[in-house]
Amino acid sequence: MTLKKTISTLAGVGVIALGTSFSAVAPASAGGLLKAPVADWTGGAVVCEIIHKILESEMDYKVKRITMPSGPAVNEGLRGGDLDFACETWPSYSTTKEKYVTEYGGDGSVEYIAPVGVVGVSFYYVPRYLVEGDGAKAPNLKTWENMNEYSDLFKTLESGDKGRLIGCPTAAWECEDTKRMELLGLNYAVTELGSEAAHWAEIQAAYKRKEPFIAYAWEPHWIHAALDLVRIDLPAHSDDKWPATGWPEDITYNYASPKLKEEHPKVVELIKNFNLTNEQQAPMILAIDVDGKSMDEVVDAWLAENEATWKSWLPSGS
Amino acid sequence: MAAGTSSLIPRSYFSYRGHDYTVLALSLIGFAFSLLVYRIAANTVQFPQFVIDAFPFADWVNDAQKWMELNIKHITRAVSNGLKIPLEWLEETLWEMPWLVVLSVLLVPSLAYGGLRLGLGTLIGVLFWGMVDMWYSAMSTLSLMTVSVFISVVLGVGLGVLSSQSDRFESILRPILDTMQTMPAFVYLIPAIFFFGIGGPAAAMAIVIYALPPVVRLTNLGIRQVPATTVEAAQSYGSTRLQMLAKVKIPLAMPSIMLGINQTIMMALGLAVLAVFIGAGGLGEEVWKALRTLKVGWAFEGGICIVFMAIIFDRLSYAITGSAEGKVAHHGDGPQFHLLPQNWDENLLAIAIEKPIGFVWNSLGKAGMAITHLVAMIVPNNEAKLKILQRPFLVVGTIITVLIWLMADQVSWFNTFPRALEVSFREPIDVAIDWLTVNPTFIAITKFIRATIFLYLLEPLDLFLAGLPWWYVIAAIGLVVWASVSWKFALVTALFFFLVGAAGLWEILLFTLAGTTVSVIVCMLVGVPMGVAAAYFKPVDAIMRPILDAMQTLPAFVYLIPALFFFGGNKTTAVIATVIYSIPPVIRLTTLGLKQLPVEIDEVAGSFGSSTLQTLVKVKLPMASPSIMLGLNQSVVMALAMQAITPLVAGLGLGKEVYDAMNIANMGKGLAAGIGIVLLTIVLDRLTQGWTHNQRKALGL
Repeated sequence: MTLKKTISTLAGVGVIALGTSFSAVAPASAGGLLKAPVADWTGGAVVCEIIHKILESEMDYKVKRITMPSGPAVNEGLRGGDLDFACETWPSYSTTKEKYVTEYGGDGSVEYIAPVGVVGVSFYYVPRYLVEGDGAKAPNLKTWENMNEYSDLFKTLESGDKGRLIGCPTAAWECEDTKRMELLGLNYAVTELGSEAAHWAEIQAAYKRKEPFIAYAWEPHWIHAALDLVRIDLPAHSDDKWPATGWPEDITYNYASPKLKEEHPKVVELIKNFNLTNEQQAPMILAIDVDGKSMDEVVDAWLAENEATWKSWLPSGS
Repeated sequence: MAAGTSSLIPRSYFSYRGHDYTVLALSLIGFAFSLLVYRIAANTVQFPQFVIDAFPFADWVNDAQKWMELNIKHITRAVSNGLKIPLEWLEETLWEMPWLVVLSVLLVPSLAYGGLRLGLGTLIGVLFWGMVDMWYSAMSTLSLMTVSVFISVVLGVGLGVLSSQSDRFESILRPILDTMQTMPAFVYLIPAIFFFGIGGPAAAMAIVIYALPPVVRLTNLGIRQVPATTVEAAQSYGSTRLQMLAKVKIPLAMPSIMLGINQTIMMALGLAVLAVFIGAGGLGEEVWKALRTLKVGWAFEGGICIVFMAIIFDRLSYAITGSAEGKVAHHGDGPQFHLLPQNWDENLLAIAIEKPIGFVWNSLGKAGMAITHLVAMIVPNNEAKLKILQRPFLVVGTIITVLIWLMADQVSWFNTFPRALEVSFREPIDVAIDWLTVNPTFIAITKFIRATIFLYLLEPLDLFLAGLPWWYVIAAIGLVVWASVSWKFALVTALFFFLVGAAGLWEILLFTLAGTTVSVIVCMLVGVPMGVAAAYFKPVDAIMRPILDAMQTLPAFVYLIPALFFFGGNKTTAVIATVIYSIPPVIRLTTLGLKQLPVEIDEVAGSFGSSTLQTLVKVKLPMASPSIMLGLNQSVVMALAMQAITPLVAGLGLGKEVYDAMNIANMGKGLAAGIGIVLLTIVLDRLTQGWTHNQRKALGL
């Protein structure tokens, strides 16, 4: 009997709900509806938001922004046709690029459109308090060649008699940190923290406690605005000696579902023309992550100040 | 409750003669022998490579996936397109609906079925969503949950009824349900995107997979438990099988089915955060965004929104099941209202708080009854009249809800949550966590805990297990299972372990086993004393209860980052996070086990001159051991479920394999490790259940 009553209650709720829903019909936009994932790091999200705002204000599109972790999920979404385009992927970290993107030897189910303009560099970093100033515990730590002198400093319980290097967060990024340590003869055990959030959490906590640490990081990234980190030089990148070298530069790119160029060629044209440099992006990241401003506010301000720049990206005839 | 149980305690409780030392002696001998084997043969035998090469499980799965992509995508897409309609409709509706209407739609049944206490709880919970500015996220999660739970219930009750009718069907379904419940969602989340698309439908499918089992199980159980005498009586009146089901068995199984639905709801909410991985938005999105930028306070706000949602649904579904006819005792001349504990009755402050609320409550009740009578007068039909009079809350609540909805266009704060009510809880949480992160005393304590766990438990156990020859480990585990469960299951277990080794996951399987064992040991070491404290001291119980409630529904993601801040990023921290997640059942069931014991025990033991401590250790704990063992069992299962999450904070083992495989979109690899987790869960679950069973037998229960 109870169930019957529950159903009748629910039915009542349903009737109310039904009534309200008729008033909720969204106006369709002329250009159409595009679906795009929002990158889950600030730099990428800024790139996305600039493109989305231009599409909405100048080209009559409506963009549905979807928050999801970057990586294979986004590629699967593009491949399955549920997403139209995505922004600022870092070749080093989009580990499934070989599977999907023709440019990287994949099957072409996801299309590389054009470079973003943002160029990433990866290194190992230590906090400045460790190498400079009074009481610096590792004053001579400048390059990988000095790393063994200080391996004791970085020991932890779990790393045994080796120093601990906080490596790339996941094996999928193929940083080859462990191999690099072996090849360069460095007495370090590598810890993978599993996720970017955990990676930065560990670094930030150690920094707050002024503990010694050596960790993988890259630029541009908000962490450098929050913490004062110093690069440790590695042998310059070369393909034949990898991974006994540093990383190549990451020419980041915007990418899309292959259908996009047929269905919305103008959108592809806009993304091709788009270009944002590290120098242009960095102040926006800073404003959002360190000064706590909202994404909306920061991107609107940038668009207002740089009208000439982004107007030149608009596709011909719009 | 406690008073009534004493007569139910079997006499054997009092004739219990203490421990059976043979099990302990045999375990010690077995352990000593294993140590000897380790001394002689450590790290000499590897799992044979040719077996691994002959068993390319991951490749088979990936081939199957490719075939499915070509051949069944149109079917799955049709399903997800169908699902999209109710999902999008409900989400849009909830977004557009004035917030005050949503509040009253939830508040009315809470008051009607659960009284003022539940009503206040619902009020606070719903207000919280708006107060932390997560109203729309909460509405998205709410719509996803509603649709997923609805599908789970329809499918689940159907499957449950079917399996109650056929033993064969039940025995086929059972391992499938076990797998659904324990398979880490990361295994199928990414492939689900291609088949079901981004967002709601794929998330709903994932939630249904995970949350379906309890309602199937409890429907089946409820129908099978209908007393034979009732069935015979119905048969003698000549009921057909279908009539019997529909008219006799299902109605009688209703409490059990409702309990299943309740558990399904809780499990569905457990996946709310994971939905963000396939772009389904909602509160999971808030938590995820917060964690990406290490905003712990923000993540907590999102997590607490989920906790409130879970608590509201949990209590509400219990209340609806519990209140016999859905009607509440007439108010006005009802008993005095109690919000605070009864024994505070004499406290002036309590009276000062309760009296006015009680007065308002009673007056509202009288007014409500008057309105209800008015409505009943309009209705001509006598039967309908009675029905209306029985449900004053629903009648008045519906009238108020409709009024609010009609007025929402005029009154703006009816429509959107008033900004003035927004409160930020983030900053105090962030400040507290920052303070703890750099507090030297606190960090010294966390370092001590981490060192103890790593040096004395995790590292030795891992080295020990990994060093033993693989066939020895399989044989030893087989023997333990044989002694505790049955020889049949021991053979199955040995085969399980061999297959996981053949999939190339031997060392990883052993690390998972070591990590799980260590977290469960720590859970017992910490949880049992806490449970004892709660059983002996009421205030401890009162403080701990809501914390345990919250811990069981708070998404683990939320406390992973603080755990990392405090304990550092390493495999030990992952074990500590597992302890935090899987300790509540140990505490709860220890307390329950002790409280269920007859009060006479204390008196009898006391008359023999035994001190409180002696009574506890020598008499009460052994007697409560079946309950404590059940806690151990649940803790094991939860620790293995946590395997799916700990790789996000440097956890190693099978969970990390699953997670790494997800990151390179290799489903075969993920499934192999996922099956490893499932099999380990089934084995450890049966093993600890066996222990519970043996313990009960030893106590003559």
